[in-house]
Amino acid sequence: MNRALLKVSLFCLAMFVLLLLNVNYVQAFEANSLAGKTGNVRVFDEQFSYQRGSIIAAGDGNDVKVAESKLIKGTDQYQRYYPYGKVYAAVTGYDSVYGKSGIEETENSLLAGTSSQLAVHNFTALLTGKQKQGATVELTISPAAQKAAYQALAANTGGHSAGLVAINPSTGAILALASYPTFNPNELTTLNGTVLNKNDERLLKDPSQPLLNRATQVTLPPGSTFKVVTSSAAFSTGKVGGTSSTIPAPTVLTLPNGHLLHNDDGETCGDGNPQIIEAFYLSCDTAFGDLGMKLGAPVLRQYASLFGMNRALSIPLPVVPSVLPEGPGWTDKSLTAYTAIGQYNDAVTPLQEAMFAATIANHGKLMQPYLVQRVLGPGLSVISSHQPATLSQAVSPRVAGDVQSMMYQVTHNPGGTAYATAGPSVTGSITIDGKTGTAQNGLNNTGLNDAVFTCFVPGTNGSSPIAVGVMVQGGGYGADAAAPLAVDVIKAYLAAHP
Amino acid sequence: MSLADDTSQAVPMPRGRRRAELLMLLFAIGVVLFAYAAVGLGLKGKLPPGVPVDIIVFAVLMLAAHLAIRRFAPYADPLLLPLAALLNGLGIVMLYRLEESGRNGNPGLQVTDMPTSVTSTQLLYTAVGVAVLVAVLLLVSEPRKLQRYTYTLGAVGLVLLAIPAVLPKSHSVVNGAQVWITFGSFSVEPGEFARLALAVFFAGYLVTKRDALALAGRRVLGIDLPRARDLGPVLIAWALSLLILIFETDIGTSALFFGMFIVMLYIATQRTSWLLIGVLLFVGGSFLTALLFSHVMERFTVWLHPFQGSNPTGIAFQPVQGLEGMAFGGIFGTGLGQGQPYHTPLVQSDFIFTAFGEELGLVGVMALLLVFGLLVQRGLRAAIAVKDPFSKLLVGGLSFVLALQVFVIVGGVSGLIPLTGVTTPFLSEGGSSLVASWILIGLLIRVSNTARKPAPQPIQDEGMTQVVRAA
Repeated sequence: MNRALLKVSLFCLAMFVLLLLNVNYVQAFEANSLAGKTGNVRVFDEQFSYQRGSIIAAGDGNDVKVAESKLIKGTDQYQRYYPYGKVYAAVTGYDSVYGKSGIEETENSLLAGTSSQLAVHNFTALLTGKQKQGATVELTISPAAQKAAYQALAANTGGHSAGLVAINPSTGAILALASYPTFNPNELTTLNGTVLNKNDERLLKDPSQPLLNRATQVTLPPGSTFKVVTSSAAFSTGKVGGTSSTIPAPTVLTLPNGHLLHNDDGETCGDGNPQIIEAFYLSCDTAFGDLGMKLGAPVLRQYASLFGMNRALSIPLPVVPSVLPEGPGWTDKSLTAYTAIGQYNDAVTPLQEAMFAATIANHGKLMQPYLVQRVLGPGLSVISSHQPATLSQAVSPRVAGDVQSMMYQVTHNPGGTAYATAGPSVTGSITIDGKTGTAQNGLNNTGLNDAVFTCFVPGTNGSSPIAVGVMVQGGGYGADAAAPLAVDVIKAYLAAHP
Repeated sequence: MSLADDTSQAVPMPRGRRRAELLMLLFAIGVVLFAYAAVGLGLKGKLPPGVPVDIIVFAVLMLAAHLAIRRFAPYADPLLLPLAALLNGLGIVMLYRLEESGRNGNPGLQVTDMPTSVTSTQLLYTAVGVAVLVAVLLLVSEPRKLQRYTYTLGAVGLVLLAIPAVLPKSHSVVNGAQVWITFGSFSVEPGEFARLALAVFFAGYLVTKRDALALAGRRVLGIDLPRARDLGPVLIAWALSLLILIFETDIGTSALFFGMFIVMLYIATQRTSWLLIGVLLFVGGSFLTALLFSHVMERFTVWLHPFQGSNPTGIAFQPVQGLEGMAFGGIFGTGLGQGQPYHTPLVQSDFIFTAFGEELGLVGVMALLLVFGLLVQRGLRAAIAVKDPFSKLLVGGLSFVLALQVFVIVGGVSGLIPLTGVTTPFLSEGGSSLVASWILIGLLIRVSNTARKPAPQPIQDEGMTQVVRAA
């Protein structure tokens, strides 16, 4: 019988070997795939069982918590909480059981503590029996500027949707990023399923699309703000020698295809052959339409790209590309005249508007815009820290200086388009250089005009530099509907950064 | 085939190894105590409040068992008690952890309907188990004495098996399986004890009939087929297991019975043909019942396609929860008290192994499987070492069925084979399984004691008469 018993022993051994192999398969090889199964309740619950990292806005020098996880009283579950509600919604996004957006989404692996960068921290926590903790994400956002941006958009856009971005031109740090209409992320963090469902449904069905980030996800025609690019191209290529060079600016420009290009309200432009600086601050469409035809679409596209267009950005929020697209017949001269004044098929985000101004403010050098300054591990050790990076040298410092002196006239010359709304009479001691844009819309321009403003405060005389881009969809004149919003943000920022 | 080649060499092991047993037992109790503390730390961040009464009672019970072995089976294998104690203790700790998970805001009780007294109840059953262990050691002074009760125990086994099938469903069905006898809050799963009784019956029957069964009939494809008239007992066992399968909707138990019978038949006759016939009968029977009965077919669907369509929230909900729990634990586990085993329905009984997988990780369940494997190995070792053929068959069969039971339930919950509801020995909640497991350990201890007992020493210099000193 012992021979048979030995064979039975071998059979038992085989059974145990099979079991051992199978548990290895399930718990080691298949573990990730099983964790990714839809409806895995453990992975789902896990997000609430430990403290997700905070998001802090550190742009004003002190830490302001804008998203944190709080222990729900009497339970061991954490709930996401946004102390400022709607103010930072466009930046932080939300972290709900249905999904995530904004920084909550893009920095999720760090906030959740699953990033490989946190492996050492997690392992130490495992050994010492401490609870796993997410990393803290420190933003470049200036709470003062952000609050002003949110309030300006909420109160002063007349209900039109709008986006605003403020950048530090010398580093690319994003100081404010706001979108209107917006939402309160706290409505999406409730652990009460019924309430969450209701809120989620309402936000998704709202025709005003409050979840859409208009600062980074919506492009509109830049209108006359694109003349910053057209002028930069003209100076850089030598087509126009300097700010005092004269360019033709007829009251009506007859395009090669027979269409007539008028200035706004059919106004004249100086004496019909003004210096470019005068055509710029008066924002004469015929002058820049003609200039655009001389430069040609490929050159305009080349300089648009140098200013950061025609590429997707990650700040790390995803940014849709601002475009001056190539397409069938895009080099047609008549169309190029419209491209040069931001009225054909060029379309930009509010972030791109801020980048136009930032490039000029930073002497022609465009810095990579970014939102995350540092990532701090549990115990506030620095895990990563952003180093400012150059995106492109768009124009030479001389050209940037020329464009800057033209933008100065827009707000400081009594004839300038933004003299009344962003000039010294409203800004006091603050010097803002800018360019307005009023993009016509709709079939035969019957729609409401989009109001656009790009501007900056140069970092000279010890002032803190800031560049702002703002777009109000259907807001009307850029000078009236957009410029005051930028002025509010700049005033608030400079008050906090004297 | 004669008895002569089964005679084993006496193991040269004069000492009883009881001190080694005590040391290993203390180690096992220490592991259980630390696990208990880890549950408290994991659940609430502090040690469980007060004196760990449960663990002290557990330790006292195990030490009592050790003293009984010292007294009644001094040469027994020293590993058996510590291994069983470790499993039993970890089972109690896991039940304590599962019982606690319903509190502090965790949603535990929503899915695992479990009385909060489950830890104390399991401890009570442990006490009964240890008492029964001592009783087995006392009553079965020599394992071969059981052979006298071959047919008595055979009848007892059949009656125990049949009771749930004839009882009204209100007194026999728990969680879909008609294998219980329930009266009020008290319930017994007679199949657990029937298995032991039938093991004795099979051993006794096969020892007397094995020569006839081993006779070869026709030779087909190089395999000696048994004579047709000897097929009777096999067919009866097969029919019996099929009846269990059909009337008690219990595939696992039926597989255990049939597997045990076939392997004991093989050990008795050494005829591979019996194994082949057994496997063919079982596979064929399973296939037929799968075609005939939807609940059997469903098990196969769940096994092959757990994640298909609406299965994860429907018929495969429990196995999917178990698998996701094990995967959630990963290699090192979440730590006791820090996982979410309460999502798995019946995690305290059929699926307790997945709770260990979740909280102790791959390393933990591999250790558990090795403990089970070691227990089986010590049993088979005793079977090989003991001389008496009846004891050999009995312990060989019981050790195999322990391995098969672990294979069926662990393989079932981890997706290796179709899931069938059998208990996890020592770990699952429930008295019948635990007490039956301790009876099994009692029999293993008794047989290993017999196997390892030093042979009676002839006393020399006593002239022609040889006096044998009783050991």
